[in-house]
Amino acid sequence: MATQRVLPQSKETLLQNYNKRLKDDIKSIMDNFTEIVKTAKIEDETQVSRPTQAEQDHYEMHVRAANIVRAGESLMKLVSDLKQFLILNDFPSVNDAISQQNQQLRALQDECDKKLTSLRDEIAVDLYELEEEYYSSRYK
Amino acid sequence: MVVGVLKAAVFFVVLSSGSLSAFLTRMANERLRVLEEVEKDIAVVLQCAGNIVLELSKDKHNASHLDRQLVQFQTSISRVENELGAQIRYLTQVATGQPHEGSTYSTRKDCQMSLNRAEYAKVKLGELGRTCEAMLEQQQQQI
Repeated sequence: MATQRVLPQSKETLLQNYNKRLKDDIKSIMDNFTEIVKTAKIEDETQVSRPTQAEQDHYEMHVRAANIVRAGESLMKLVSDLKQFLILNDFPSVNDAISQQNQQLRALQDECDKKLTSLRDEIAVDLYELEEEYYSSRYK
Repeated sequence: MVVGVLKAAVFFVVLSSGSLSAFLTRMANERLRVLEEVEKDIAVVLQCAGNIVLELSKDKHNASHLDRQLVQFQTSISRVENELGAQIRYLTQVATGQPHEGSTYSTRKDCQMSLNRAEYAKVKLGELGRTCEAMLEQQQQQI
């Protein structure tokens, strides 16, 4: 049975895509915000009547505000994607984390084995005395 | 002898009470923390934009409040752009596209076996302690 295989996007293309998303979203926020502030200016002479112009400006501001929010959410998604990419592909920090955990685990293992060995030695001394007592008694 | 055995049993109770996972503390990754800060900055950008538009909608604007919000808006958005750009540049340098094949499984297994040895010794010492106490009680009853 033929299995469908999805080829992964190359690293460079993915990071270029991240860059493009970042620039587009920042540009969208800046442009839309600038246009909102420009639209807030009240002009004396308008091509259409004041109520119509007010209605148009109101609708335009709504759309631009929605664009700013959409760009903000897109940036949050980008940050989430970057976090995921960082966790999976930041080899230096992954190597550091692995070596630190290995170090801690080996230290714990060494401490445990050292204490077990010292306990064994103490019990061996006591056992020697007990054996002497037992084999020289009438219960052997 | 009995006191020494009981002391050893207490030692193993203390040693094995700290589980393996307690020693595997999560390492705070500085880069992930920076990305958390960037998320907060994005929220600040949107909040400042909203505050500025709200202030402009009033009949009398508070100029100093507008200036403060505008400066914060510009600072936050430039910080977002710079930090995310820096993270992407760093990932361009270090990412290989291959999966990481490192593992802590072997040391974790060795440590688990060491703790199992300690647990087994604790169990055996406990049995020995109970046997000694039973013998002592028996002798006291005979007396």
